[in-house]
Amino acid sequence: MTEDGMLVSARDLRRDYVMAGAVVQAVRGVSLDVRTGEYVAIVGPSGCGKSTLLNMLGAIDAPSSGTLTIAGRRLNGLSDRDATWFRLRHIGFVFQRFYLMPVLTAIENVELPMAEAGQGKSARRSRARELLTYVGLGERLRHRPTELSGGEQQRVAIARALANKPELLLADEPTGELDARTGTEVIGLFEQLNRDGTTLIVVTHDEDLARAARRVVHMRDGVIVDEHHR
Amino acid sequence: MTAALLLRGALTFLFAAQSIDSLPPRHPPRSVAIDERLAQDYGIHVGDTIVIAPTPQGKGDTVIVDALVRRTRDPSEVARGAYRIRVHLDELQRLVGYGDRVERFAVGTRGTAGADSALTAIDDAAFGFHAYSSHEIAVESSTTFLVVSRFHRAIGVITIVASAIFLLCIMLLKVDERRRDVAALRLMGISRGTIVRSVVLESALIAVLGSIAGVALGAAVSAFVNWHYQRVYRTPLTFSLVTGQIVVIAVGLSVGLGIFAGLLAAQRLVRRPPLSLFGR
Amino acid sequence: MILTLARASLVRHRARTLLAMLGVAVSAAMLLDMVMLATGMRASFGSLLVAQGFQIRLAPKGTLPFDTDATIPDASDIIQQLMARRDVVAVSPVLGAQLHVEHGSASVSAAALGTIAAVQGDYKLLTGRAPTGDDEIAANDALLEAVGTKLGDTLRVAAGFDPQLRTFTGRRSLRVVGRVHFIYLSAGERALAIPLDALQSMEGPSRTNRVSLLMVRLRDSANVESARTGIEQSIHTVSAISTATAIEQVEARLSYFRQLAFILGSVSLAVGFLLVTTLVTVSVNERLGEIAVLRAIGVRRTSIVKQILIEGTAIMLVGAVVGLGLGLVTARYLNSILAAFPGLPEAISFFLFQPRDAWLSLGLLAVCGILAGIYPAWRGASRPIAHTLREEAVA
Repeated sequence: MTEDGMLVSARDLRRDYVMAGAVVQAVRGVSLDVRTGEYVAIVGPSGCGKSTLLNMLGAIDAPSSGTLTIAGRRLNGLSDRDATWFRLRHIGFVFQRFYLMPVLTAIENVELPMAEAGQGKSARRSRARELLTYVGLGERLRHRPTELSGGEQQRVAIARALANKPELLLADEPTGELDARTGTEVIGLFEQLNRDGTTLIVVTHDEDLARAARRVVHMRDGVIVDEHHR
Repeated sequence: MTAALLLRGALTFLFAAQSIDSLPPRHPPRSVAIDERLAQDYGIHVGDTIVIAPTPQGKGDTVIVDALVRRTRDPSEVARGAYRIRVHLDELQRLVGYGDRVERFAVGTRGTAGADSALTAIDDAAFGFHAYSSHEIAVESSTTFLVVSRFHRAIGVITIVASAIFLLCIMLLKVDERRRDVAALRLMGISRGTIVRSVVLESALIAVLGSIAGVALGAAVSAFVNWHYQRVYRTPLTFSLVTGQIVVIAVGLSVGLGIFAGLLAAQRLVRRPPLSLFGR
Repeated sequence: MILTLARASLVRHRARTLLAMLGVAVSAAMLLDMVMLATGMRASFGSLLVAQGFQIRLAPKGTLPFDTDATIPDASDIIQQLMARRDVVAVSPVLGAQLHVEHGSASVSAAALGTIAAVQGDYKLLTGRAPTGDDEIAANDALLEAVGTKLGDTLRVAAGFDPQLRTFTGRRSLRVVGRVHFIYLSAGERALAIPLDALQSMEGPSRTNRVSLLMVRLRDSANVESARTGIEQSIHTVSAISTATAIEQVEARLSYFRQLAFILGSVSLAVGFLLVTTLVTVSVNERLGEIAVLRAIGVRRTSIVKQILIEGTAIMLVGAVVGLGLGLVTARYLNSILAAFPGLPEAISFFLFQPRDAWLSLGLLAVCGILAGIYPAWRGASRPIAHTLREEAVA
């Protein structure tokens, strides 16, 4: 956390891509501060750069320019190894398409980040069980992703993202592949997580999910055009 | 230079070019022909005088090297390190104390019919002799090469089996890699038959191109093998031969195996329901 | 967890994994056979030569033992000279000849070895005793069967055949006192052992005091090479061949097999390498999205590479173990083909299994498996995460 209580502090972030010889400016100078415990939704039309921004916040993608500080750590110029370690310990990521390992069971999927962080087997198994119970899947520990519904898979993915107790949880269209009812369940889970102290930044088209957030940031053409608090 | 019969192993040749015998020859020196390799290894030339003796440091005859003889394409001589010299028959008989004896006669006849009647006549007339046709001798002395031939054939069979398995593995992998594409095509309404034909056509093309490359590689390797072993053993013998028949068999096998592997892989893929290919 | 992921990935595509293992097994079998071929003959021949404890062999000058019909003259003087050396414990003279055993109206030819029973190193006694008297022989089973005779029987044996008179020369009646197995003869070769004096006498004046070979046993503390050199320098009618030299010379004649072994072994390794590389590449290409996600959630590149390498190495190792068994079977078959070489001692094996060979093959394959997987694994794990996730989403 920075001195002023900011968990995330981004200044003039830019991200350019070269596609078919032309430079595409996906993010054009975005500055964003997020406090600990906030629940922020980033909304905007397709191609406005919101997923690209989220990837930069998650240290999955490096900005072309600008500065980014998360949990007091400057992310600019981090080596791949350090960025990976940072993601592992400080950031949880939830994807639209769940991206669970199909060869592992639900509990093994949740254990995966803990194993990578060097936790012992019994400790990580215990926490994984606890997390899956928290997300309502206490009875489905040994099921493989192909044996779970979309909503259940997404809940496993959320449990996995929480495995190493990250300060920040990022979600990219987490209800995008879910039906309305299941989407509502996941939205409810996010609200519960935020009530329990998790800082959330979600990117979404889903109005219900955006409404659940405390703060909504609007993006268009790679810049923030508006934001409001609920 | 009269060709003489070689006494198999009876003569211990002690080459003494480096110490030309000081004994005066009893008669004008006769001529001999020596192995080309002997000449190379000891720096002997046509016209040089040498001494040949039946025992090491025994008394011998001074002779003149009249010719160098190159080895024939005889497989039985390939690995033999022993040098050979050709000596006038009577001189050799006298030198080794063999008397008026030889080990064998080689008889030339007019045509095959002449050979058969000569064989019969010799067997009937000669005491204690047996006449063999050249073919019989060749068969008898070929046992070693028959063994090597069988060994090569066994290695060849093992290689073909191994290649077939490798080919199948790789074809399965490559075709399996495209299962999502295949699933999409099937969902679109493309028939199994069309997909199988397209995969088989692709594998046939790969097989043909691979076979052409393989033939070129095989020919190059064969040439190298001959060059290498002809140098090592100092022989004109051909060790490896790529014939039209061999090319036809090899290409036929590889193309056939390639098509079969493609067919098997394709069949395996189209048997599964399209959605299962998506992992659902 | 990496092990769990690796195992699960292998099990996910069972048919593919099994087929790849089969491919590696075939490659491993071939590799093992070639390693055995490259080393077996040398080991087999070497142990055969020292089986009876003779480290040096003396043959007529410029020849290898029994390579020609040449003989060593003044054998008794040479034996005395050798026994006078401090490093020599025993000398076994051997004379080789072809004898004719009369069998009805025809004859059966047999290889005859004239030896001195007390010091001989050419045969092992199976039943009866070694021949010591002038009228005694010991025969092998091939000869006994050929002439339909047994221990205690008497045979009419001749040294030669006069074609003009059509009579046998150097005839004797000899009693079979022993049944033996000849160590250095090929399978099925008919042979008999006879006291040296007796054979020399039967062969006539051309063989008086002459032998084909002298085998020398040295003291344990003796230096073989200096003894060999010393003997060759002091006795000018012989070539002295140590076991090591004999092995080298035979190897030189059969170097073709070693070279073939090297080439085919290399090809086997290369093909196995290719197979694992292809498998790993395809496997990685299929899982690019998964790999990107793993990286996104904080799994290190090295952990991912490790997992993929474990998969490749597991295929190699399991395939190798299966291949070892397969290789032993094919080696037996190939050995049976080469054992038919005319004149090859029965005890010689071209494909001799030594545990070291198995370890060498296993080690080579393990290294191969690792190397084969490294590049595709590293490439797959190094792709930009966001870009890959986007591509996979589109796909």
